[in-house]
Amino acid sequence: MNAFGLIQIGLILLCTTTISSLQCNHLPLQQRKVIENSLQLLDKMGKKFPQQCLREKMFFRFPEQVLKPRQKETVKVAIEEILQHIFYIFSKNLTLAAWDRTALEQFQNGLYQQIEQLEACVIKKQTHYFRSKEVNRLKLQKYFKKIDCFLKDKQHNLCSWEISRAEMRRCLQLIDKVIRKL
Amino acid sequence: AGQTNLKSPQDIQVYVVNTNFTLRWNYTGNDTNVTFSAEYRWFEDFGPSETEWKELPGCQNVTGTECDFSSAMTEYYDTHHVRVRAERRGEVSPWSRVFEMIPYFIAQIGPPGIELQSTNGVIKIKVSPPEGNQVRKMWIAHLRFKYNLVIWENSSNAEFRSQSISPTDIIDGLAPDTTYCLKVQATLPLDSQEGLFSPIHCVKTTRKVNDPLCATNVSVLALNMKFHLHWNNQYKHHVSYNVQYLIGYLKELHDDYSVKWLNVPECENITNTQCDFSSVITTGFYYLRVQAMSEYNKSCLSKEVKIDPLVTNEIGPPGVTVDASDVLLHIQISPPGGSECEVMRDHYDLSYRILYWKNSSNNEKEIKMKEIKQTIGTVADLTPSTLYCVKAQAFSEVYNKSSNFSEEECIKTPGDKVLPLIILATFVTALIAVLLVAMPLVFALYQAYNKIKYVFFPSCQLPLNIEGFGGQLFISPYLSATEEPIESFSITETTITEEANQIYFKDYKHSKQSSRDSGNYSNEDDTSGNKASEEMLEKEII
Repeated sequence: MNAFGLIQIGLILLCTTTISSLQCNHLPLQQRKVIENSLQLLDKMGKKFPQQCLREKMFFRFPEQVLKPRQKETVKVAIEEILQHIFYIFSKNLTLAAWDRTALEQFQNGLYQQIEQLEACVIKKQTHYFRSKEVNRLKLQKYFKKIDCFLKDKQHNLCSWEISRAEMRRCLQLIDKVIRKL
Repeated sequence: AGQTNLKSPQDIQVYVVNTNFTLRWNYTGNDTNVTFSAEYRWFEDFGPSETEWKELPGCQNVTGTECDFSSAMTEYYDTHHVRVRAERRGEVSPWSRVFEMIPYFIAQIGPPGIELQSTNGVIKIKVSPPEGNQVRKMWIAHLRFKYNLVIWENSSNAEFRSQSISPTDIIDGLAPDTTYCLKVQATLPLDSQEGLFSPIHCVKTTRKVNDPLCATNVSVLALNMKFHLHWNNQYKHHVSYNVQYLIGYLKELHDDYSVKWLNVPECENITNTQCDFSSVITTGFYYLRVQAMSEYNKSCLSKEVKIDPLVTNEIGPPGVTVDASDVLLHIQISPPGGSECEVMRDHYDLSYRILYWKNSSNNEKEIKMKEIKQTIGTVADLTPSTLYCVKAQAFSEVYNKSSNFSEEECIKTPGDKVLPLIILATFVTALIAVLLVAMPLVFALYQAYNKIKYVFFPSCQLPLNIEGFGGQLFISPYLSATEEPIESFSITETTITEEANQIYFKDYKHSKQSSRDSGNYSNEDDTSGNKASEEMLEKEII
């Protein structure tokens, strides 16, 4: 990487660190609240899982080992990536899902704020092991790609959305458990 | 076809941008009439298994030293092997070294698309994600991208300015009527990945027209989660305002968010320059702007203000009540915002700082501090009968915020009640003890005194005539009298009665006899009988 590239990286770091004025040590507390809140909103968004969609239930196999590594920082990075993917999924065409828009908006807004704050903290620490060939992160990418393709194939119909929502709920519950232990 | 001295290709490299795969190699041998062909194989789930080498489409009989094999790539998270060999007129070189790769790890983020619009001294920019609407994507969650803008004046020695922008954003702080050049790259901060820059776009800024209708100095004041928007206006004629808000995350989507602004209820068509927008605030960021409307159906939108509720909000002072007992102060804190403001306590994780000091006449205040987490605290080690003053502030360590101090509350610690109480108790106990012991003692002494007095100092007087006959005999009536005194008594009695009435003598004898006849009388009984008759005699004589 040439010098100019390095300067740019430095500038990006500078800009993003000034966005957030929060102390990163207290991030876990905020994370817990956001995840708790998000789970509640996810439930509030729609009704109980429709019976007719049980037939189409898919097993996506969330790679739980991605939340179990030895280093705390790696887990934080993994959590942030998962939140980013969840945020992305729920920003797609939701007209057929017919969920409570207010709950959905609050859910997304809360998630996005958490992503921004996490990002600022994670970049501050400048963890360089992202680029390490972490097998677990690849599994995470595969998992979310599978859900993405599933939604596309089913043309974002009600059942595909309900199944995805249930899956994301499982994700958030796993994260909730991990955060409490951090 | 067999082994010849055809050299195999070397320095195999794979260059990936988004989903475009390019294979490159070097050929050091004689490259006239040489073509190259490549093979590949891939493994699922990161483990080598017995998969066969397949022809790499797009890299068969290639004359140059690079080829595009994007069509063959579908699994971006799996391990792939690639190898190349040279061919000439039926001869093939040995296979090159195998190049191993996981596409996702070597892929670069391609350049994003840019749309620019120069209006009113600012540049409006709209960025489209690197892979746009492609069916097959390397970067599936395009919302994860953060866009980095580099902008500079199109003149020599221009300074580069770098800033992070949203997909739809406004670049301001620019000089009017100046040409600026800019380029944008997409980045994935978590992956420490920086994408390729877009081509450079140059645009000239227009003159800035300051519409006096527009609201200026739009600012937010928030206390205890009550949010107020304030602004100024210099318009001379009648203006009405509409305050609008946008839910923060909508700005980060690639959709047009301009249609998603909503009116703040109770701040529609207002004439005063402030608005309470607490009702729209829940979680996350918000953007606010003021739309000023004149009578002639002209309107102007102010600048947008970004709000992070918990950061913008100021914590108000708590309430304090103090109570004193012994040498302790009990402090009760009522949280800021009252009992309704659960949000503050939930998100800020409030703690309280208590300051206390002796309010003495000289101004030397030694202020002490105590931090507590709950709303009840005690302060100990105080001196009694002293006036202490207390004030408290709420603070959030998480958000590095603290409130103003509450009002001072002063209270006097009670005096030393202990010693007087002890004295009183002791006195009373002693009093009771004394009474309990003294009273029987006094009573006993009194009784003893009476007895002794009776024995040694009898109160009755002898008659004068009896006294003459040895008054000593009457001194001790309780002494065990011998027969003789009685006899002498009876003798003297006889002599007396000779002078006195005969009847009395007889009577006496009667009684004496009767007393004798009554049985076993001791001497004392006799003497008691004597005493009775003696009294009778006394009466008669007197």
